[in-house]
Amino acid sequence: MRVWRVIEPYIGFLLQGFALTIFACLLAIIGAVILGGIVASMRASQRSALRWVAHAYSDIFRNVPFLVQLFFLFYGLPELGIYIGAFETGVIALSLAGGAFVSDVILSGIRSIDRGVIEAARVSGLNDVKVFLRIVLPIALRVSVRPVGSVLINLVLTSSILSTITVNELTGVAKIVAAETFKPFEVYAVLLVLYASFTTALSLAIVAWHRRLNRFMTGA
Amino acid sequence: MIRIKDLVKTFDDSTVLDGVTLDVNAGEIVTVLGASGSGKSTLIRCINGLERPSGGTITVDGNDVTTKAGLAASRRISATVFQLFNLYPHMTALGNITLAPVEVLGKSKAEAEEQARALLAKVGLAGHADKYPQQLSGGQRQRVGICRALAMQPRYILLDEVTSALDPETTGEVLDILQKLATEATTMVFVTHEVAFARSISTRIVFMEAGKLLVDMPTEEFFAENGGLAVPRIRQFLSQIRKD
Ligand SMILES: Nc1ncnc2c1ncn2[C@@H]1O[C@H](COP(=O)(O)OP(=O)(O)OP(=O)(O)O)[C@@H](O)[C@H]1O
Ligand SMILES: [Mg+2]
Repeated sequence: MRVWRVIEPYIGFLLQGFALTIFACLLAIIGAVILGGIVASMRASQRSALRWVAHAYSDIFRNVPFLVQLFFLFYGLPELGIYIGAFETGVIALSLAGGAFVSDVILSGIRSIDRGVIEAARVSGLNDVKVFLRIVLPIALRVSVRPVGSVLINLVLTSSILSTITVNELTGVAKIVAAETFKPFEVYAVLLVLYASFTTALSLAIVAWHRRLNRFMTGA
Repeated sequence: MIRIKDLVKTFDDSTVLDGVTLDVNAGEIVTVLGASGSGKSTLIRCINGLERPSGGTITVDGNDVTTKAGLAASRRISATVFQLFNLYPHMTALGNITLAPVEVLGKSKAEAEEQARALLAKVGLAGHADKYPQQLSGGQRQRVGICRALAMQPRYILLDEVTSALDPETTGEVLDILQKLATEATTMVFVTHEVAFARSISTRIVFMEAGKLLVDMPTEEFFAENGGLAVPRIRQFLSQIRKD
Protein backbone atom coordinates (compact mmCIF):
# COMPACT_ATOMS: atom_id res chain seq x y z
CA MET A 1 0.00 0.00 0.00
CA ARG A 2 1.72 3.08 -1.30
CA VAL A 3 -0.52 5.48 0.58
CA TRP A 4 -0.07 3.72 3.89
CA ARG A 5 3.76 3.70 3.57
CA VAL A 6 3.75 7.47 3.11
CA ILE A 7 1.18 8.20 5.79
CA GLU A 8 2.20 5.77 8.51
CA PRO A 9 4.74 8.00 10.30
CA TYR A 10 2.27 10.89 10.31
CA ILE A 11 -0.91 9.04 11.17
CA GLY A 12 -0.96 10.22 14.79
CA PHE A 13 -0.46 13.81 13.68
CA LEU A 14 -3.21 13.56 11.06
CA LEU A 15 -5.62 12.00 13.52
CA GLN A 16 -4.87 14.82 15.95
CA GLY A 17 -5.90 17.23 13.21
CA PHE A 18 -8.99 15.18 12.52
CA ALA A 19 -9.90 15.25 16.21
CA LEU A 20 -9.51 19.02 16.23
CA THR A 21 -11.75 19.30 13.16
CA ILE A 22 -14.42 17.21 14.85
CA PHE A 23 -14.14 19.21 18.06
CA ALA A 24 -14.30 22.58 16.27
CA CYS A 25 -17.24 21.43 14.15
CA LEU A 26 -19.23 20.06 17.07
CA LEU A 27 -18.80 23.32 18.97
CA ALA A 28 -19.70 25.34 15.88
CA ILE A 29 -22.72 23.13 15.17
CA ILE A 30 -24.03 23.78 18.66
CA GLY A 31 -23.30 27.49 18.25
CA ALA A 32 -24.87 27.71 14.80
CA VAL A 33 -28.05 25.88 15.82
CA ILE A 34 -28.57 27.97 18.95
CA LEU A 35 -27.76 31.20 17.14
CA GLY A 36 -29.88 30.19 14.14
CA GLY A 37 -32.84 29.41 16.41
CA ILE A 38 -32.54 32.75 18.18
CA VAL A 39 -32.10 34.71 14.96
CA ALA A 40 -35.00 32.89 13.30
CA SER A 41 -37.23 33.80 16.25
CA MET A 42 -36.10 37.42 15.97
CA ARG A 43 -36.84 37.41 12.26
CA ALA A 44 -40.32 36.03 12.98
CA SER A 45 -40.91 38.51 15.79
CA GLN A 46 -43.56 41.25 15.86
CA ARG A 47 -40.97 43.83 16.85
CA SER A 48 -39.46 45.59 13.91
CA ALA A 49 -36.21 46.46 15.72
CA LEU A 50 -35.51 42.79 16.43
CA ARG A 51 -36.44 41.83 12.89
CA TRP A 52 -34.13 44.50 11.50
CA VAL A 53 -31.12 43.42 13.56
CA ALA A 54 -31.67 39.77 12.68
CA HIS A 55 -32.05 40.53 9.00
CA ALA A 56 -28.91 42.63 8.94
CA TYR A 57 -26.98 39.81 10.59
CA SER A 58 -28.18 37.04 8.32
CA ASP A 59 -27.81 39.16 5.18
CA ILE A 60 -24.24 40.09 6.00
CA PHE A 61 -23.08 36.61 6.92
CA ARG A 62 -24.76 34.94 3.97
CA ASN A 63 -23.40 37.42 1.47
CA VAL A 64 -19.74 37.70 2.39
CA PRO A 65 -17.21 34.93 1.61
CA PHE A 66 -16.37 32.88 4.67
CA LEU A 67 -12.66 33.50 4.22
CA VAL A 68 -13.26 37.25 4.44
CA GLN A 69 -15.39 36.83 7.58
CA LEU A 70 -12.70 34.68 9.12
CA PHE A 71 -9.88 37.13 8.38
CA PHE A 72 -12.04 40.01 9.50
CA LEU A 73 -12.50 38.38 12.91
CA PHE A 74 -8.94 37.06 13.13
CA TYR A 75 -7.33 40.43 12.44
CA GLY A 76 -10.24 42.61 13.54
CA LEU A 77 -10.90 41.31 17.06
CA PRO A 78 -7.41 42.22 18.34
CA GLU A 79 -7.96 45.72 16.96
CA LEU A 80 -11.01 45.88 19.20
CA GLY A 81 -8.89 44.73 22.14
CA ILE A 82 -10.31 41.20 22.09
CA TYR A 83 -7.55 38.62 22.24
CA ILE A 84 -8.65 35.03 21.74
CA GLY A 85 -6.87 32.11 20.15
CA ALA A 86 -7.09 31.13 16.51
CA PHE A 87 -9.12 28.02 17.40
CA GLU A 88 -11.70 30.05 19.33
CA THR A 89 -11.85 32.62 16.55
CA GLY A 90 -12.44 29.85 14.05
CA VAL A 91 -15.25 28.28 16.08
CA ILE A 92 -16.91 31.68 16.48
CA ALA A 93 -16.62 32.45 12.76
CA LEU A 94 -18.10 29.07 11.82
CA SER A 95 -20.95 29.52 14.29
CA LEU A 96 -21.73 32.99 12.99
CA ALA A 97 -21.73 31.94 9.35
CA GLY A 98 -23.60 28.68 10.02
CA GLY A 99 -26.11 30.48 12.24
CA ALA A 100 -27.09 32.82 9.41
CA PHE A 101 -27.97 29.88 7.15
CA VAL A 102 -29.60 27.87 9.94
CA SER A 103 -31.82 30.86 10.73
CA ASP A 104 -33.05 30.88 7.12
CA VAL A 105 -34.03 27.26 7.30
CA ILE A 106 -35.71 27.48 10.69
CA LEU A 107 -37.55 30.62 9.62
CA SER A 108 -39.09 28.85 6.67
CA GLY A 109 -40.00 26.03 9.06
CA ILE A 110 -41.75 28.58 11.28
CA ARG A 111 -43.61 30.04 8.30
CA SER A 112 -44.84 26.61 7.24
CA ILE A 113 -46.67 25.98 10.52
CA ASP A 114 -50.44 25.72 10.33
CA ARG A 115 -51.91 29.01 11.64
CA GLY A 116 -54.73 27.12 13.31
CA VAL A 117 -52.34 25.23 15.56
CA ILE A 118 -50.79 28.46 16.77
CA GLU A 119 -54.22 29.99 17.26
CA ALA A 120 -55.30 27.02 19.36
CA ALA A 121 -52.31 27.56 21.63
CA ARG A 122 -52.94 31.28 21.95
CA VAL A 123 -56.62 30.81 22.69
CA SER A 124 -55.77 28.31 25.41
CA GLY A 125 -54.13 31.20 27.25
CA LEU A 126 -50.44 30.55 26.57
CA ASN A 127 -48.52 33.80 26.31
CA ASP A 128 -46.51 34.64 23.22
CA VAL A 129 -43.23 33.37 24.64
CA LYS A 130 -44.75 30.04 25.64
CA VAL A 131 -46.53 29.67 22.32
CA PHE A 132 -43.19 30.16 20.65
CA LEU A 133 -41.19 27.84 22.88
CA ARG A 134 -43.72 25.04 23.24
CA ILE A 135 -45.43 25.07 19.84
CA VAL A 136 -43.76 27.12 17.12
CA LEU A 137 -40.11 26.29 17.70
CA PRO A 138 -40.51 22.54 18.33
CA ILE A 139 -42.60 22.13 15.18
CA ALA A 140 -40.27 24.30 13.11
CA LEU A 141 -37.26 22.33 14.31
CA ARG A 142 -38.92 19.08 13.37
CA VAL A 143 -39.63 20.13 9.83
CA SER A 144 -36.20 21.78 9.53
CA VAL A 145 -34.00 18.90 10.62
CA ARG A 146 -33.01 17.82 7.11
CA PRO A 147 -32.30 21.27 5.62
CA VAL A 148 -30.48 22.26 8.81
CA GLY A 149 -28.47 19.07 8.29
CA SER A 150 -27.30 20.23 4.87
CA VAL A 151 -26.21 23.52 6.37
CA LEU A 152 -24.26 21.66 9.05
CA ILE A 153 -22.54 19.43 6.52
CA ASN A 154 -21.53 22.54 4.65
CA LEU A 155 -20.18 23.89 7.90
CA VAL A 156 -17.94 20.85 8.26
CA LEU A 157 -16.62 21.34 4.74
CA THR A 158 -16.04 25.03 5.40
CA SER A 159 -14.07 24.24 8.55
CA SER A 160 -11.10 23.36 6.34
CA ILE A 161 -10.68 27.10 5.77
CA LEU A 162 -9.69 27.47 9.43
CA SER A 163 -6.27 26.20 8.35
CA THR A 164 -5.69 29.66 6.87
CA ILE A 165 -5.59 31.22 10.33
CA THR A 166 -3.07 28.73 11.70
CA VAL A 167 -5.57 26.32 13.24
CA ASN A 168 -4.06 22.87 12.87
CA GLU A 169 -7.24 21.06 12.08
CA LEU A 170 -7.31 18.29 9.53
CA THR A 171 -6.56 20.41 6.45
CA GLY A 172 -3.94 22.36 8.37
CA VAL A 173 -1.96 19.27 9.41
CA ALA A 174 -2.39 17.81 5.93
CA LYS A 175 -0.71 20.83 4.41
CA ILE A 176 2.21 20.35 6.79
CA VAL A 177 2.50 16.64 6.06
CA ALA A 178 2.24 17.21 2.32
CA ALA A 179 5.02 19.77 2.48
CA GLU A 180 7.29 17.47 4.48
CA THR A 181 6.74 14.34 2.41
CA PHE A 182 6.34 15.93 -1.03
CA LYS A 183 3.52 13.40 -1.47
CA PRO A 184 0.39 15.59 -1.65
CA PHE A 185 -1.69 12.98 -3.50
CA GLU A 186 -1.33 10.35 -0.78
CA VAL A 187 -1.98 12.88 1.95
CA TYR A 188 -5.09 14.32 0.36
CA ALA A 189 -6.38 10.85 -0.48
CA VAL A 190 -6.41 10.17 3.24
CA LEU A 191 -8.08 13.52 3.86
CA LEU A 192 -10.80 12.71 1.40
CA VAL A 193 -11.63 9.53 3.29
CA LEU A 194 -11.59 11.26 6.67
CA TYR A 195 -13.82 14.18 5.64
CA ALA A 196 -16.20 11.88 3.81
CA SER A 197 -16.53 9.59 6.82
CA PHE A 198 -17.21 12.55 9.12
CA THR A 199 -19.88 14.08 6.88
CA THR A 200 -21.44 10.69 6.19
CA ALA A 201 -21.67 9.96 9.90
CA LEU A 202 -23.18 13.39 10.43
CA SER A 203 -25.76 12.96 7.70
CA LEU A 204 -26.72 9.50 8.95
CA ALA A 205 -27.20 10.98 12.40
CA ILE A 206 -29.39 13.71 10.92
CA VAL A 207 -31.55 11.27 8.99
CA ALA A 208 -32.01 9.17 12.12
CA TRP A 209 -32.85 12.20 14.19
CA HIS A 210 -35.31 13.44 11.58
CA ARG A 211 -37.03 10.06 11.55
CA ARG A 212 -37.25 9.99 15.29
CA LEU A 213 -38.64 13.48 15.65
CA ASN A 214 -41.11 13.13 12.82
CA ARG A 215 -42.38 9.66 13.62
CA PHE A 216 -45.90 10.91 14.06
CA MET A 217 -45.93 14.13 12.13
CA THR A 218 -47.58 14.73 8.80
CA GLY A 219 -46.16 16.67 5.91
CA ALA A 220 -42.62 16.52 7.24
CA MET B 1 -71.69 36.23 31.18
CA ILE B 2 -70.42 37.00 27.70
CA ARG B 3 -71.58 40.50 26.74
CA ILE B 4 -71.21 41.64 23.19
CA LYS B 5 -72.33 45.16 22.41
CA ASP B 6 -72.45 46.91 19.03
CA LEU B 7 -69.63 44.72 17.76
CA VAL B 8 -68.23 45.81 14.41
CA LYS B 9 -65.50 44.03 12.50
CA THR B 10 -64.17 45.22 9.20
CA PHE B 11 -61.50 43.65 7.01
CA ASP B 12 -59.99 46.28 4.74
CA ASP B 13 -63.19 47.85 3.51
CA SER B 14 -65.65 44.98 3.91
CA THR B 15 -67.83 45.02 7.01
CA VAL B 16 -68.12 41.47 8.27
CA LEU B 17 -69.81 42.17 11.61
CA ASP B 18 -72.13 45.10 11.57
CA GLY B 19 -73.30 45.99 15.05
CA VAL B 20 -73.78 42.68 16.83
CA THR B 21 -75.26 42.80 20.31
CA LEU B 22 -75.59 39.52 22.18
CA ASP B 23 -75.53 38.37 25.80
CA VAL B 24 -74.79 34.79 26.73
CA ASN B 25 -75.69 33.97 30.31
CA ALA B 26 -74.17 31.23 32.38
CA GLY B 27 -75.83 27.90 31.66
CA GLU B 28 -77.14 28.91 28.26
CA ILE B 29 -76.43 27.07 25.06
CA VAL B 30 -76.64 29.55 22.25
CA THR B 31 -76.54 28.26 18.71
CA VAL B 32 -75.48 30.60 15.96
CA LEU B 33 -77.00 29.82 12.59
CA GLY B 34 -76.52 31.65 9.34
CA ALA B 35 -75.42 31.27 5.76
CA SER B 36 -71.81 30.83 4.78
CA GLY B 37 -70.02 34.16 5.00
CA SER B 38 -72.55 35.71 7.35
CA GLY B 39 -69.86 36.28 10.00
CA LYS B 40 -70.33 33.40 12.45
CA SER B 41 -66.68 32.41 12.65
CA THR B 42 -65.62 36.02 12.86
CA LEU B 43 -67.96 36.48 15.82
CA ILE B 44 -66.36 33.53 17.62
CA ARG B 45 -62.87 34.79 16.74
CA CYS B 46 -63.66 38.20 18.19
CA ILE B 47 -64.86 36.62 21.44
CA ASN B 48 -61.71 34.50 21.86
CA GLY B 49 -59.46 37.35 20.85
CA LEU B 50 -58.14 35.93 17.59
CA GLU B 51 -59.58 38.95 15.83
CA ARG B 52 -59.58 42.44 17.21
CA PRO B 53 -62.96 44.18 17.05
CA SER B 54 -63.06 47.31 14.94
CA GLY B 55 -65.77 48.73 17.18
CA GLY B 56 -68.03 47.90 20.10
CA THR B 57 -67.23 45.94 23.23
CA ILE B 58 -66.91 42.33 24.31
CA THR B 59 -66.57 41.30 27.92
CA VAL B 60 -66.35 37.82 29.38
CA ASP B 61 -67.36 37.89 33.02
CA GLY B 62 -66.47 41.55 32.97
CA ASN B 63 -63.07 41.08 31.35
CA ASP B 64 -62.67 43.32 28.32
CA VAL B 65 -61.13 41.09 25.65
CA THR B 66 -59.64 44.04 23.81
CA THR B 67 -57.20 44.66 26.66
CA LYS B 68 -54.22 42.42 27.23
CA ALA B 69 -55.05 41.65 30.84
CA GLY B 70 -58.75 41.24 30.07
CA LEU B 71 -58.05 38.83 27.26
CA ALA B 72 -55.68 36.77 29.41
CA ALA B 73 -58.32 36.57 32.15
CA SER B 74 -61.03 35.70 29.66
CA ARG B 75 -58.95 32.95 28.08
CA ARG B 76 -58.55 31.30 31.49
CA ILE B 77 -62.30 30.86 31.77
CA SER B 78 -63.23 30.09 28.19
CA ALA B 79 -62.12 27.56 25.62
CA THR B 80 -62.54 27.01 21.91
CA VAL B 81 -63.05 23.87 19.86
CA PHE B 82 -62.10 24.27 16.21
CA GLN B 83 -63.49 22.96 12.97
CA LEU B 84 -60.14 21.54 11.87
CA PHE B 85 -59.23 20.35 15.40
CA ASN B 86 -55.91 22.26 15.40
CA LEU B 87 -54.23 19.72 17.65
CA TYR B 88 -50.53 20.17 18.36
CA PRO B 89 -48.99 17.67 15.94
CA HIS B 90 -45.82 17.11 17.96
CA MET B 91 -47.60 16.16 21.17
CA THR B 92 -49.56 13.08 22.20
CA ALA B 93 -53.23 13.31 23.03
CA LEU B 94 -52.19 13.58 26.67
CA GLY B 95 -49.67 16.31 25.86
CA ASN B 96 -52.27 18.27 23.92
CA ILE B 97 -54.69 18.15 26.82
CA THR B 98 -52.26 18.91 29.65
CA LEU B 99 -50.28 21.76 28.08
CA ALA B 100 -52.53 24.65 29.03
CA PRO B 101 -53.60 23.37 32.46
CA VAL B 102 -49.91 23.10 33.39
CA GLU B 103 -48.65 26.25 31.67
CA VAL B 104 -51.63 28.54 32.19
CA LEU B 105 -53.44 27.29 35.28
CA GLY B 106 -50.23 26.18 37.01
CA LYS B 107 -51.42 22.65 37.73
CA SER B 108 -48.86 20.00 38.50
CA LYS B 109 -48.08 17.65 35.67
CA ALA B 110 -49.36 14.65 37.62
CA GLU B 111 -52.63 16.32 38.42
CA ALA B 112 -53.13 17.52 34.85
CA GLU B 113 -52.41 14.05 33.48
CA GLU B 114 -54.79 12.37 35.85
CA GLN B 115 -57.50 14.79 34.82
CA ALA B 116 -56.66 14.37 31.13
CA ARG B 117 -56.91 10.59 31.39
CA ALA B 118 -60.29 10.91 33.06
CA LEU B 119 -61.49 13.19 30.26
CA LEU B 120 -60.19 10.82 27.59
CA ALA B 121 -61.98 7.95 29.26
CA LYS B 122 -65.15 9.97 29.32
CA VAL B 123 -65.06 10.49 25.54
CA GLY B 124 -64.19 6.85 24.88
CA LEU B 125 -60.48 7.33 24.21
CA ALA B 126 -59.03 5.73 27.31
CA GLY B 127 -56.53 3.67 25.36
CA HIS B 128 -55.33 6.51 23.16
CA ALA B 129 -53.62 8.85 25.61
CA ASP B 130 -50.16 8.28 24.20
CA LYS B 131 -51.09 8.48 20.53
CA TYR B 132 -50.16 11.39 18.34
CA PRO B 133 -52.85 13.26 16.37
CA GLN B 134 -51.52 11.64 13.21
CA GLN B 135 -52.40 8.23 14.63
CA LEU B 136 -56.01 9.15 15.35
CA SER B 137 -59.08 9.31 13.13
CA GLY B 138 -60.86 12.62 12.52
CA GLY B 139 -63.56 11.88 15.06
CA GLN B 140 -60.97 10.82 17.64
CA ARG B 141 -58.98 13.99 17.01
CA GLN B 142 -61.98 16.15 17.57
CA ARG B 143 -62.75 14.30 20.78
CA VAL B 144 -59.21 15.09 21.91
CA GLY B 145 -59.87 18.69 20.86
CA ILE B 146 -62.93 18.72 23.10
CA CYS B 147 -60.94 17.22 26.00
CA ARG B 148 -58.29 19.89 25.49
CA ALA B 149 -60.97 22.54 25.86
CA LEU B 150 -62.59 20.85 28.86
CA ALA B 151 -59.28 20.43 30.67
CA MET B 152 -59.29 24.17 31.29
CA GLN B 153 -62.54 23.69 33.19
CA PRO B 154 -63.95 26.58 31.23
CA ARG B 155 -67.11 28.44 32.10
CA TYR B 156 -67.64 29.11 28.41
CA ILE B 157 -66.99 26.87 25.44
CA LEU B 158 -66.96 28.27 21.94
CA LEU B 159 -67.50 25.72 19.19
CA ASP B 160 -67.13 26.65 15.55
CA GLU B 161 -68.54 24.01 13.22
CA VAL B 162 -66.79 21.28 15.14
CA THR B 163 -68.33 18.50 13.10
CA SER B 164 -68.13 19.94 9.58
CA ALA B 165 -64.85 18.22 8.84
CA LEU B 166 -66.23 14.82 9.87
CA ASP B 167 -68.24 12.21 8.04
CA PRO B 168 -71.83 11.59 9.18
CA GLU B 169 -70.90 8.58 11.29
CA THR B 170 -68.14 10.27 13.27
CA THR B 171 -70.23 13.41 13.51
CA GLY B 172 -72.56 11.33 15.66
CA GLU B 173 -69.74 10.38 18.05
CA VAL B 174 -68.85 14.01 18.58
CA LEU B 175 -72.43 15.23 18.89
CA ASP B 176 -73.09 12.58 21.55
CA ILE B 177 -70.30 14.06 23.61
CA LEU B 178 -71.60 17.58 23.18
CA GLN B 179 -75.00 16.33 24.19
CA LYS B 180 -73.51 15.04 27.44
CA LEU B 181 -71.79 18.35 28.01
CA ALA B 182 -75.00 20.21 27.45
CA THR B 183 -76.55 18.40 30.37
CA GLU B 184 -73.64 19.41 32.60
CA ALA B 185 -74.56 23.08 32.58
CA THR B 186 -71.59 24.20 30.56
CA THR B 187 -72.22 27.47 28.77
CA MET B 188 -71.73 27.13 25.06
CA VAL B 189 -71.74 29.25 21.98
CA PHE B 190 -72.25 26.82 19.21
CA VAL B 191 -71.83 27.60 15.53
CA THR B 192 -73.21 24.76 13.46
CA HIS B 193 -75.10 23.66 10.41
CA GLU B 194 -76.56 20.70 12.31
CA VAL B 195 -79.95 22.30 12.77
CA ALA B 196 -81.69 19.27 14.22
CA PHE B 197 -78.98 18.84 16.81
CA ALA B 198 -78.97 22.55 17.60
CA ARG B 199 -82.68 22.37 18.15
CA SER B 200 -82.28 19.52 20.61
CA ILE B 201 -79.59 21.08 22.79
CA SER B 202 -79.82 24.87 22.53
CA THR B 203 -81.62 27.13 24.87
CA ARG B 204 -81.47 29.96 22.34
CA ILE B 205 -80.85 30.41 18.66
CA VAL B 206 -79.49 33.47 16.95
CA PHE B 207 -79.58 33.83 13.22
CA MET B 208 -76.94 35.89 11.45
CA GLU B 209 -77.34 37.52 8.12
CA ALA B 210 -74.64 39.66 6.50
CA GLY B 211 -72.95 40.55 9.77
CA LYS B 212 -76.11 41.33 11.69
CA LEU B 213 -78.21 39.32 14.12
CA LEU B 214 -81.47 38.90 12.30
CA VAL B 215 -83.22 37.18 15.19
CA ASP B 216 -82.33 36.08 18.70
CA MET B 217 -84.98 33.78 20.14
CA PRO B 218 -85.49 30.92 22.59
CA THR B 219 -85.17 27.68 20.65
CA GLU B 220 -88.83 26.77 20.80
CA GLU B 221 -89.87 30.15 19.51
CA PHE B 222 -87.31 30.02 16.73
CA PHE B 223 -88.84 26.86 15.33
CA ALA B 224 -92.44 27.99 15.84
CA GLU B 225 -94.61 28.87 12.87
CA ASN B 226 -95.43 32.23 14.35
CA GLY B 227 -91.84 32.78 15.62
CA GLY B 228 -88.61 32.31 13.64
CA LEU B 229 -90.34 30.45 10.86
CA ALA B 230 -92.46 33.48 10.21
CA VAL B 231 -89.31 35.27 9.05
CA PRO B 232 -89.04 34.53 5.31
CA ARG B 233 -85.21 34.49 5.31
CA ILE B 234 -85.09 31.92 8.11
CA ARG B 235 -87.74 29.74 6.53
CA GLN B 236 -85.73 29.79 3.32
CA PHE B 237 -82.48 29.00 5.17
CA LEU B 238 -83.97 26.05 7.03
CA SER B 239 -85.58 24.55 3.95
CA GLN B 240 -82.26 24.80 2.14
CA ILE B 241 -80.41 23.06 4.96
CA ARG B 242 -82.96 20.26 5.03
CA LYS B 243 -82.43 19.66 1.34
CA ASP B 244 -78.68 19.05 1.70
N1 LIG C 1 -59.02 37.53 7.75
C1 LIG C 1 -59.97 37.95 6.87
N2 LIG C 1 -59.66 38.87 5.94
C2 LIG C 1 -60.61 39.30 5.06
N3 LIG C 1 -61.85 38.87 5.03
C3 LIG C 1 -62.22 37.94 5.94
C4 LIG C 1 -61.29 37.44 6.90
N4 LIG C 1 -61.93 36.52 7.68
C5 LIG C 1 -63.19 36.47 7.21
N5 LIG C 1 -63.37 37.31 6.17
C6 LIG C 1 -64.64 37.52 5.42
O1 LIG C 1 -65.66 37.77 6.34
C7 LIG C 1 -66.88 37.18 5.93
C8 LIG C 1 -67.44 36.36 7.05
O2 LIG C 1 -66.57 35.25 7.28
P1 LIG C 1 -66.83 34.16 8.40
O3 LIG C 1 -65.75 33.17 8.30
O4 LIG C 1 -67.04 34.84 9.70
O5 LIG C 1 -68.20 33.55 7.91
P2 LIG C 1 -68.98 32.29 8.46
O6 LIG C 1 -70.35 32.75 8.78
O7 LIG C 1 -68.20 31.63 9.53
O8 LIG C 1 -69.03 31.36 7.17
P3 LIG C 1 -68.95 29.75 7.07
O9 LIG C 1 -70.30 29.22 7.38
O10 LIG C 1 -68.58 29.53 5.63
O11 LIG C 1 -67.90 29.29 8.00
C9 LIG C 1 -66.58 36.42 4.67
O12 LIG C 1 -67.02 37.18 3.57
C10 LIG C 1 -65.09 36.29 4.67
O13 LIG C 1 -64.60 36.29 3.37
MG1 LIG D 1 -67.16 29.79 9.69
